[in-house]
Amino acid sequence: MNEITSAIQIIPLEHYILLSIIMFSIGVLGVLFRRNTIVILMCIELMFNSVNLLLTAFAAYHSDLTGQVFVFFIMIVAAAEVAVGLSILVMMKRNVDSVDINQLNRLKW
Amino acid sequence: MVTDSYLKALVWLVPLLPLAGFLITGLGRKRLKGHIAGILASTAVVISFVLSVILFFSLRKPGTEPLTVTLFSWITTGELSVPFAFLIDPLSLTMMLIVTGVGALIHIYSIGYMHHDERVNTFFAQMNLFTFSMLLLVMGSGYLLLFIGWEGVGLCSYLLIGFWFKNPDYNYAARKAFVMNRIGDLGFLLGIILMFFTFHSLSFSEVFGKAATFDKGAPVITAITLLLLVGAVGKSAQIPLFTWLPDAMAGPTPVSALIHAATMVTAGIYMIARSGVLFNLAPVTLTVIMVLGLATAILAAIIALKQNDIKKVLAYSTVSQLGYMFLALGLGAYSAAVFHVTTHAFFKALLFLGAGSVIHAMGGEQDITRMGGLKTKLPVTFLTFAIATLAISGIPPFSGFFSKDLILAKAFEHNLVLYVFALGGALLTCFYMFRLLFVVFFGNLRSPEVHPHESPRIMTIPLMILAVLATVGGFLNMPSLLGGHSGFLAFLQPSTQSLETGELAHSTEWGLIFLSLALLGTVFWIAWRKFLKQKHIPEKDDHTLNLAGKIVYQKLYIDQIYAFLLEKPYSWLSSFLFRKVENQLLDPLVDGVGHLTSELGTLTRRFQRGNLSFYLFAMVAGILLFIVFILFV
Amino acid sequence: MKLLILLFLPLFAGLLLLITRKYRFSGYLAPASALISLVVTLMVISGVPSGNVSVDWMQVPGVRFNLQLDEISKIMLLLTGLLYPFILLSSWGREQTNQASLQALLLFSQSALTGVFLAGNAFLFYVCWELALLPVFFILLLWGGPGRRSITLKFFIYTLAGSLFLLFGIIYLYLQTPGLHSADFAAMAQLQLPEKTQQWLFWILFIGLAVKMPLFPFHTWQPPAYTTAPPQGTMVLAGIMSKMGIYGVFRLLFLVLPQGVLFWQNTVIILGLTGVVYASVIAFRQNNLKTLIAFSSLAHISLMVAALFAANTYAVQGVLFQVVAHGITIVALFYLVMLTEEKAGTSELSGMGGLKISAPRLALLFMLVMLGGIALPLTSGFIGEFLMITGIFKVSVWFALAGGLTLVLGAVYMLYAYQRAFLGPLNPAPEHKGDIISRDQWWLIPLVILILVLGIWPQPVLNLVLTIPELLRPLPLP
Repeated sequence: MNEITSAIQIIPLEHYILLSIIMFSIGVLGVLFRRNTIVILMCIELMFNSVNLLLTAFAAYHSDLTGQVFVFFIMIVAAAEVAVGLSILVMMKRNVDSVDINQLNRLKW
Repeated sequence: MVTDSYLKALVWLVPLLPLAGFLITGLGRKRLKGHIAGILASTAVVISFVLSVILFFSLRKPGTEPLTVTLFSWITTGELSVPFAFLIDPLSLTMMLIVTGVGALIHIYSIGYMHHDERVNTFFAQMNLFTFSMLLLVMGSGYLLLFIGWEGVGLCSYLLIGFWFKNPDYNYAARKAFVMNRIGDLGFLLGIILMFFTFHSLSFSEVFGKAATFDKGAPVITAITLLLLVGAVGKSAQIPLFTWLPDAMAGPTPVSALIHAATMVTAGIYMIARSGVLFNLAPVTLTVIMVLGLATAILAAIIALKQNDIKKVLAYSTVSQLGYMFLALGLGAYSAAVFHVTTHAFFKALLFLGAGSVIHAMGGEQDITRMGGLKTKLPVTFLTFAIATLAISGIPPFSGFFSKDLILAKAFEHNLVLYVFALGGALLTCFYMFRLLFVVFFGNLRSPEVHPHESPRIMTIPLMILAVLATVGGFLNMPSLLGGHSGFLAFLQPSTQSLETGELAHSTEWGLIFLSLALLGTVFWIAWRKFLKQKHIPEKDDHTLNLAGKIVYQKLYIDQIYAFLLEKPYSWLSSFLFRKVENQLLDPLVDGVGHLTSELGTLTRRFQRGNLSFYLFAMVAGILLFIVFILFV
Repeated sequence: MKLLILLFLPLFAGLLLLITRKYRFSGYLAPASALISLVVTLMVISGVPSGNVSVDWMQVPGVRFNLQLDEISKIMLLLTGLLYPFILLSSWGREQTNQASLQALLLFSQSALTGVFLAGNAFLFYVCWELALLPVFFILLLWGGPGRRSITLKFFIYTLAGSLFLLFGIIYLYLQTPGLHSADFAAMAQLQLPEKTQQWLFWILFIGLAVKMPLFPFHTWQPPAYTTAPPQGTMVLAGIMSKMGIYGVFRLLFLVLPQGVLFWQNTVIILGLTGVVYASVIAFRQNNLKTLIAFSSLAHISLMVAALFAANTYAVQGVLFQVVAHGITIVALFYLVMLTEEKAGTSELSGMGGLKISAPRLALLFMLVMLGGIALPLTSGFIGEFLMITGIFKVSVWFALAGGLTLVLGAVYMLYAYQRAFLGPLNPAPEHKGDIISRDQWWLIPLVILILVLGIWPQPVLNLVLTIPELLRPLPLP
């Protein structure tokens, strides 16, 4: 464990944070500007993973396992979310024959 | 001599008997056959009359304390305590005798007059109810009790005017009477309330006792008396609330005789005479009464000149005579007014019953232009009608002469102008009454298809009794001029507290009498010449009339003016308030709140189009804003 | 115990009725329950000790389930107890769809109304106040006439919105009580709020109450609702629910906000008198008999409100007397309107006329009840109106004149309506179905007798309200 931790600590924390911010921003911008629902889902995963990266980095730096536990938790939630999201996607493809997010504007009363 | 408790029992029996008669004939109206209801009802009133006579002879001695009989406590709350009690004093005794006496005769007459009507039992029930209410009115020991009777007779008047309810015009007349009376009643009620707050009591004895502490002309007394006057004006058909009375002739003729001539319409005079103590303290009100009375007397007499309906002539004559009574009241001569009420009850009831007999004989015809020559066909009716005509015209020795002369003398004492106008009204009375008499009974019958026959005994006997009373009724109050001692006035004085005025010199009185007799003779001669000698028949319609005649024939267009000024605007206002204010202002205001909510929903709905990109964008923007807010604010 | 019987008996009877609706005896259940309630009510009123009920209700301090009985409650209980038998009997033997449910709903409303009048705690009061609305809402919605959906919706939302004001006011008062707070009326009556607070809080509470009464100009739900509702619904609305507002004025305004009442006294009197004249004038030209009576009820309630705010002994006693008198009269009147509608086949006056020929007994009863409505002496209406006008007179002569106009205008529209419906030649249009049957007649005659007896011998009811000035001590009644 210690080798890994020290290996992680070779790179300064700022780099992890910067990488996370970049990944997260890419995710946000992807969600905002892409219309393909699959891409949007992937962008959401990207945001999740940026957060995960940050959590593990902090966990390593602070030698606190709680952060890593959280990462697993988030991964499970993300998996569930992808399952639901993809099934919605399949239904959408079946119903409107498209995965364009703007095709979903009929979801209102 | 009868004992006190015995008398008290008699007192409450007097109104109870007509009430019982009302309940029996009313509840049994389906089962009672033939004349039974009429006989029952008449018996009740006759017994009441007998009891009243017994009471009268027990209490007539001067100086006898008024008798108060309390039945139960009606309303008690706070200072207000109104017992259901009767006060028997000279004034109420006089009125009781008139109500039950004349009432009994009219009831008996009605047995004959109404016998072919299918609702005869209802008729007698309502007549008895009326007698009961009227007795409450004159016997009540306080203003609120008087008010019960006051409204009660109004109700009976409404019911009986609209007795033949299938005719919309009659119903209209009945409603008109009730509503106009109600206007007066409102004033009366407010007067009662003001009186209550002023004297803290509503019983006659306490109110009059406390009134002595007020100065003459005290504003509050003037206000009270003016409000009471409003009530009296409505009930006794004075200007401006008199138009209901002629219309009230829609009812059966005995009703007109009992309610709209002899008793109910004189309730206003009774009430003012009863409140003499208060009115004595309010000279302003007295002046108003005087002016109203005189104006009504002359106006109604003028209208009566051109009417062709036998009952309408009598109705306007009643209004006119009521005006004379008001004139007397206004002069503070309350007892004289009540004296005229008494004699008027005799001769006017007689006139109406006679008219009823004529109408009965003519098969329902009321238009005098279609009558004529009935003198030989209906001898009893003619004779009694003629006596009543002489009485109402004020020709001695008939009763009307004594009572009218008394009022004229009082007017002369007060003011010469007043006297001249009052005398003028009396001359008009003489003219239209003889016009009626000549046109109806003399000449030739103008509708050949009918074969008039004299009415049955049951109708003519009351006529004869009333004729005797109308002849000798005046002797009740033989003036000192003719060797009497004004017994009637002296009897009433303890109740009415009439204003004392100086006696006229006997020579002046003789002069006035001869003057009026001479003028009456002239008028009689004119009427005789026009209607008997020249056989002038009143115009059937208003085409042949000149402008003045037309206006008079149309009753001065007062009904039309009221319709234009009151009924139409009221009707319009009702529609306006409902259509415009209720449905286009208030309701939309409420609905507006609903619409506002709905509109707001439409507005916010724009943001919920289902555009997911927009939702996401809004979400991210919101988060960013939130971060910025937390970091920098 | 007796109070609990009054409160829950109708509720249980109603539930039982719903369960056993198929059986034959269920028809007797509702009238029997109402009659027992009446007997218990009379016992309670005549002073048989009835015990106190006070239970903690929620885990909120001061929100308790407690019942109290004073003279004002007694009058209201008398009204409820007296009228419900007739309201229920009026539906007895009538061809109405699903009659058991209708009667059950009526019984529920009786429970709720009893709760309003007995509650000693403002929250209990409020809960019952809202509960009372529910059965009536369903009665209107399910048994109503044409256009019932929109009218019921409007009625419901309007009164609910009014109640919101009431709730706000009650919560505010609750928070003002000292210590751990208490919503008991007794505790609220101890509050002596600053004058400014009383002045604005007055309107919050008063609007809530005024919508229920209803008072001009908050009345627009009333005429259509009375017209559309089935007869029994109208009877409950006009006879009893309209008095809830008046009861609330006593409980929440007179006892809690006396300064506010005195400050706004003239404003409310003017509103009331405007309502009297406004409604009376409008009633004159109405063509629908039900709407006409609805406006007449509006006029009467308005006069009661005006007299209430005259706030002196005569007026207040008159109002409480009139609560009973008007309740009896208006229930009898709507009963008769129902019968008239059955006989003429329409409630439009233009389709009637001459009904006295085909239905003389109906005409006679209508006339008698109408006389009570136009306050003829020796009917109950006169005692109430006389005392009320006397009370208003004490405030101002002009107010009394305006209030007294009801005597004239009432006669104008009622007699006109009577003439159009019953008098005149027989209208050939409607199929005349003969006179009223004796069952209805026997239910109506007691009502007519009550109207007359209360007019001739009003003292029993007046005695109940003699101690009102002491009860309303926070507001010094002159």
